[in-house]
Amino acid sequence: MIFRPRYFFGETFTSLRRNFLMFFTAITTVAITLFIVGFFLIIIYDVQGVLASVKSQVEVAVYLKDNITVELKTYLENEIKGWNEVAEVIYVSKDAALEKFKTENAGSEILKEIQGNPLPASFEIRLKSPEKVDQIALRFVAKDGSYIEGVDEVIYGQNYVQKIFSITAIAGSIAFLIIIILLLAAVVLIFNTIRLSIHSRRKEIEVMKLVGATNWFVRIPFIFEGFFEGFVGRAISAVLLYFITNYLLIKGETALADTMHIKDLAILGSSNIMLYIYVGMVIIGSLLGVLSSAFALKRYVRI
Amino acid sequence: MNMIEFKNVAKVYEDKTVALKNVNLTIKKGEFVFLVGPSGSGKSTIIKLLIREIAATSGSIFVAGRNISNLKFSRVPQLRRNIGSVFQDFKLLPNKTVFENIAFALEVIGKPSYMIKVQVPQVLKLVGLEHKLVSYPHQLSAGEQQRVSIARAFVNRPPILLADEPTGNLDPVNSDGIMKLLSRINLIGTTVAMATHDRSIVNSMRRRVIELEEGEVIRDQKRGVYGI
Repeated sequence: MIFRPRYFFGETFTSLRRNFLMFFTAITTVAITLFIVGFFLIIIYDVQGVLASVKSQVEVAVYLKDNITVELKTYLENEIKGWNEVAEVIYVSKDAALEKFKTENAGSEILKEIQGNPLPASFEIRLKSPEKVDQIALRFVAKDGSYIEGVDEVIYGQNYVQKIFSITAIAGSIAFLIIIILLLAAVVLIFNTIRLSIHSRRKEIEVMKLVGATNWFVRIPFIFEGFFEGFVGRAISAVLLYFITNYLLIKGETALADTMHIKDLAILGSSNIMLYIYVGMVIIGSLLGVLSSAFALKRYVRI
Repeated sequence: MNMIEFKNVAKVYEDKTVALKNVNLTIKKGEFVFLVGPSGSGKSTIIKLLIREIAATSGSIFVAGRNISNLKFSRVPQLRRNIGSVFQDFKLLPNKTVFENIAFALEVIGKPSYMIKVQVPQVLKLVGLEHKLVSYPHQLSAGEQQRVSIARAFVNRPPILLADEPTGNLDPVNSDGIMKLLSRINLIGTTVAMATHDRSIVNSMRRRVIELEEGEVIRDQKRGVYGI
């Protein structure tokens, strides 16, 4: 068979024009289904980001006894810094703790009550992997159950930290499941629509076969159409997604971040992930179109 | 020279219907043959076997000396390019004009567009529809639509033209026109085989008649009539 691009492109666009309703249906199906998938992808990515930033704020506070010696303090600090799991150790002296307390409670009655400096010095430990917070805290406990020498108390939000971790884990698997289900739904919907549009033109295929067209000659215009439908449908959903994320989500999130005092929430602003989603969806859309056409054609070409 | 030859051909469909049993027949180059018989006698099966829409269950079928019973799937298009086919329901594409419908048959076999531009008006002139180039099928009468479908079948000048009940949907006047057209095509040297149960057409043409009944050839008569 001689490949004649002018015939194939011409045939594709003529038939797109003449089968506009079917074409329109296919494109809107692709656009809507992929929009939903993309929208959820963004939301889920976002929620993951929020949870991650909450997790990253988990830290261990090690309060030191007032009578701790400088040697012991230095020893402990060096020891903690040597642990692999530790990202950062900040020493907060008694004075610094009082300063911090004063600024956080500026203007409050409680300041007048304070005599001297009742606040302990402490190490604030940030972890590379917050899940290990339990293990780290345990290292400050001696065999008899009391804290090791020089340590008064270790606090890491024992009650809520584990909850956060299990919530993020569950949220992660639910999100994955949703994406898979949505993606499957998109594939089935797009495939069915394209199959319908091919079915509506089975007469054309019959005639092509009758006058001696080769199988590939029959297939190529349909596959072009599938590609085109996938591509255009995807482009439309990309535009929709772009506006939705830029004008709704980001505004909403900025407001949310402001009220919740979370700094790392500007995830959507990072164009990286959006770019991946757009490019990925264009490829998926086009591929789905082509594969659906090729697959749906199998039945009709064999006449 | 034998254009079409059936040797002990049998066809049993998937639902166990026996369409043909042990059919032997030969059609020479340039012949005009009627296949007659009641519905279900096997006329259409013979036509479908020739364009390899279906394959024979047993026996051999030769077209222009080539055995097509074990033709590879990829060779079927080549076979169909040498056989024009016309059907009762015309099989025109409703969203293409008359010109495009015929041009389509040439495009899909890879003919260059300058040849298409010459050949399509030529064949339309042959069928007397040169003024209907830009009409759509639904704007034509049934007789005109069948002429277009004959033009499409013949535009590639195939050595064989098969017609399955081509006048089945037409009134006598239009049927007559179609038969004149098929005769002209036959006169140019094309082998024509036509399945029909239109008694008056067969009787007035006085051509070779092959009569089928329950999948068997029961009569093969030169210059025959429809039936006794």
